[in-house]
Amino acid sequence: MAYLLQKYFFSYLTRPASIILLSLSLLLPQLSNAAVPQKHEDFPQGVSAVNPGSELWREVRQRDLPVTGVSQVKGVETGVLINPRGDQWARFRIENPVKYAPMVLGAVFLVLLLFFVMRGKVGIEGGMSGRMVKRFTDYERIVHWTLAIVFLFLAITGLILLLGRPLLIPLFGKEFFSLLASASKEGHNLFGPIFLVSLLMMLFSFMKRNIYEKGDLTWLLKGGGFIGDGHVSGGFFNMGEKTWYWMVILIGLAISISGLILVSPNFGQGRVVMEISHVVHVFGAIILTAVSIGHMYMGSIGSEGSLEGMKSGYVDINWVEAHHDRWAKECNENEQVVSAEEYARLQGRQPDKAMEKGA
Amino acid sequence: MIEYLIDGPLWYFSLAVFCIGVLWQLARIVFARSKTDLSVARGSATGGAWRNVFSRFVPHHEIAPQIRIQVVAGYLFHLGLFALLFFAAPHVLFLEENLLGFGWTPMPHWAFIVSAQFAFLGLIMLWLRRVVNPVSRLISTLDDHVAAILTFVVMLTGCFALLEGSTALRLLHRFTVEIWLIYFPFSALMHTFTFVPSRAFTGAWFGRRGIDA
Repeated sequence: MAYLLQKYFFSYLTRPASIILLSLSLLLPQLSNAAVPQKHEDFPQGVSAVNPGSELWREVRQRDLPVTGVSQVKGVETGVLINPRGDQWARFRIENPVKYAPMVLGAVFLVLLLFFVMRGKVGIEGGMSGRMVKRFTDYERIVHWTLAIVFLFLAITGLILLLGRPLLIPLFGKEFFSLLASASKEGHNLFGPIFLVSLLMMLFSFMKRNIYEKGDLTWLLKGGGFIGDGHVSGGFFNMGEKTWYWMVILIGLAISISGLILVSPNFGQGRVVMEISHVVHVFGAIILTAVSIGHMYMGSIGSEGSLEGMKSGYVDINWVEAHHDRWAKECNENEQVVSAEEYARLQGRQPDKAMEKGA
Repeated sequence: MIEYLIDGPLWYFSLAVFCIGVLWQLARIVFARSKTDLSVARGSATGGAWRNVFSRFVPHHEIAPQIRIQVVAGYLFHLGLFALLFFAAPHVLFLEENLLGFGWTPMPHWAFIVSAQFAFLGLIMLWLRRVVNPVSRLISTLDDHVAAILTFVVMLTGCFALLEGSTALRLLHRFTVEIWLIYFPFSALMHTFTFVPSRAFTGAWFGRRGIDA
């Protein structure tokens, strides 16, 4: 028994780091009591005294940079008793992403609202013909919507975690927010790797058609048709769509990798790596969320006929000629355009109803 | 009050509906009258039944390229869900304490998370295929969509309660499980129990007629 005490208990007490920690743990409760000014009958105004604990902590902290000491505990940064960068990091997080994220997202909504008020839904000259061209396979649409669903879930839960404290606590109270935050955190961490898998599926299934080619720069210089005579030539994907694709892939990969570093802190990464990952993760996610709002707008209420491509896999030939004239030429040359009746049959609908819709 | 209701009466009620409902549906299938086959047997019905039960785990080579995503997502979802349901530590503990009285070794936490991710990815892709593919969309009923969405909700509330630190989140998960159990016997979810007899019946019919399919 005495041997065991000697081996485990006393040997533990002789470790330098343990002595410091043990002393602090014994000292702290006393210090916290000492820090409260004691009222006394003879001194009704109270006695003000400098907290002696502040001197101790100043000694431990010593300077702005973290001081690495010696510890028997093996691990990353186990020799650092206090890291003053933690305070700086907390301030940075509150003063930057938490402050700017709502501003960026609010600005995007405002710009889109203004755009919609000014331009309305961008229509197709001559309207829809009813004659359709296959744009996306079932697999491509499944990959797109899988990524979209998972991304939306991550964006919502991520925003709850980032902005919940200042925005949701005043609305719903602390108790409800703690539930929401706990659920969001678990959901966010679990769905993160699913996002990475669907991102890789997106990378491989769409990459070939998103490589930049001759003519894309012209599209960019003409602002996608907003500058000049209004029409700009485009292939299967135009410059804007290709840029959005590469943004999703590259920023998505950055968010995924930084997220994996954050969610698995036991692989030897230190505080600095975690902080950098946090910055990359949060700012990447804000950028991707902001641009995805624009993508959702342009793919639905902003542009006539665009959503059909991701709904049925087919788009109207007039839409193709308006936005992707080089691809439209290929479709016409290769006789890939199907009639309204054939399209209705492929979609399992009555042809006359489809004709009415097309007309 | 809500805690008492969800942990007590509603749990027993949903469990009773599930057990009685499943047994009732299986009994209906077993005792269903079918016409006696008077044709001369060209092969073994029993052999055909066994062959069909197992051969259908792999898609026929002629249609495999068209349904590859369905097969991959289907295996991801079903294997992931099976692992979650019977080998996740909280479920093993729950079954031991509330139903069976004995437990077994659960899988490690990382495997639990990976199984959940497989199951989520598979379920999302399967449901999207149902919606996206014109043929699947046409043959799908409201029940198919409700069953998929309800299963997703049950898994999602389970995911929310992963920390096991909140009674409210645990109750939310248990409540959705109870709704799922009540819905189960009257829905497409019954394929959990009927896929084997269904395959066997078709296989026996094929086998008797000497059809190699």
